[in-house]
Amino acid sequence: MNNWFQEVWDQESMHKELIVQPERCTGCRTCELICSFVHVQEFDTTRSRISVFNFEKAGFSVPVVCQQCSVAACMEVCPVEAITRSDRTGAMVVNHDKCLRCKMCTIACPFGATIYDPIKDIIAKCDLGNGDPMCVKVCPSGALTYQEPTQANISKRKAYAARFKAVYEEVG
Amino acid sequence: MKILIDDLEVEVTHGETILTSARKAGIHIPTLCYHEAFEGQGRCRLCLVEVDCRGVKQVVTSCTYPVTEEITVRTSTPGIEKMRKNIVMLLYKQASASTILHDMYLEYGCSENSLSDNPEEKCMVCNLCVLACEEMGSSAISLIMRGTEKRAATPYDEASEVCLGCGACAAICPTQAIEVIERDGYRIIWNKKFTLLKCQHCGRSFATEEQLAYIDSKGKYADPDSLICLNCRRKMTAEKIGIFT
Ligand code: SF4
Repeated sequence: MNNWFQEVWDQESMHKELIVQPERCTGCRTCELICSFVHVQEFDTTRSRISVFNFEKAGFSVPVVCQQCSVAACMEVCPVEAITRSDRTGAMVVNHDKCLRCKMCTIACPFGATIYDPIKDIIAKCDLGNGDPMCVKVCPSGALTYQEPTQANISKRKAYAARFKAVYEEVG
Repeated sequence: MKILIDDLEVEVTHGETILTSARKAGIHIPTLCYHEAFEGQGRCRLCLVEVDCRGVKQVVTSCTYPVTEEITVRTSTPGIEKMRKNIVMLLYKQASASTILHDMYLEYGCSENSLSDNPEEKCMVCNLCVLACEEMGSSAISLIMRGTEKRAATPYDEASEVCLGCGACAAICPTQAIEVIERDGYRIIWNKKFTLLKCQHCGRSFATEEQLAYIDSKGKYADPDSLICLNCRRKMTAEKIGIFT
């Protein structure tokens, strides 16, 4: 495993965080709908920044969304520094005017959380709703929350992140 | 420092160009060869504005003009508009196959003249593709020939060894002059045929080997031993998280 990956999980942020608790997710996909509506003004879940996977047989649903990694692969591969961390929200945001559309970031993201939207011709990734994520507001089951990084929340996020890490280790 | 752009007081930092200052203030100046990833090139000349500096008036390309003292800028005088119209006409004559230039030709109300069209040409030689490729670290293309023959190309129009097949050149081209053909697991660009790598899970083609090598060179390819497209990556992430929940 590459060392840089470790750093992804060791972050302690001062920003509010999008905390995902998959065990609460019912798989209703409301978050996908609202996300696409906010970002592309259409209900088109294929262009949502958050994706929910329903594993019907196993009986679980998992929302996958950008982790705003502290050492973010998308940012590191970008040739023109079009992806930077927002001071205000802590999210990794894409400057579409600067982006060259080389799509390296979409290939580099270990979770497939950075996508290319061919209709808008932009790189699309979670921007934490610019500090006001609508997905959280509409999530009926409390699987998505947006909270201050208190100690308890940090451990919740770390729990989710630890699962990401396990994913990675299995892959790598 | 404050300058006046179209009677609006705009705060500028020393050395910033007129174009970026204007855009920040929400004042539109048309451009074709400008892209935020690069410095202004002053090539297409569409961004012409009139600058009044201590009573001396001159016409400058706003994308290359750094503000170093208090000036008054006019972005759309009758004189400027007339020049822009001529520029659009000339650009269209140079690259008459471009839809965007054709639309602008009509929009600016250009009228027919004795200059002949260039009906096959889409490239207006703005150089943005060359800059993008350079930024990718490849420099597979450059502007070759001179005068009316000038165009972007790989050396001798042959498949370039250093081309990554990323398509940034095609994406940045304001006139969509660069062709990227993608079919049957191949991508063809600048006379180079790339066999696309297939995702191990879904079998869909998703990247060129050169693209992965680029990411790897930055130490960022997550799993060098496997080829997984982004959709499958996301799905796998979900699966594994589900198992660990
Ligand atoms: S597609 Fe845009 S944001 Fe992504 S790596 Fe390339 S230039 Fe950077």
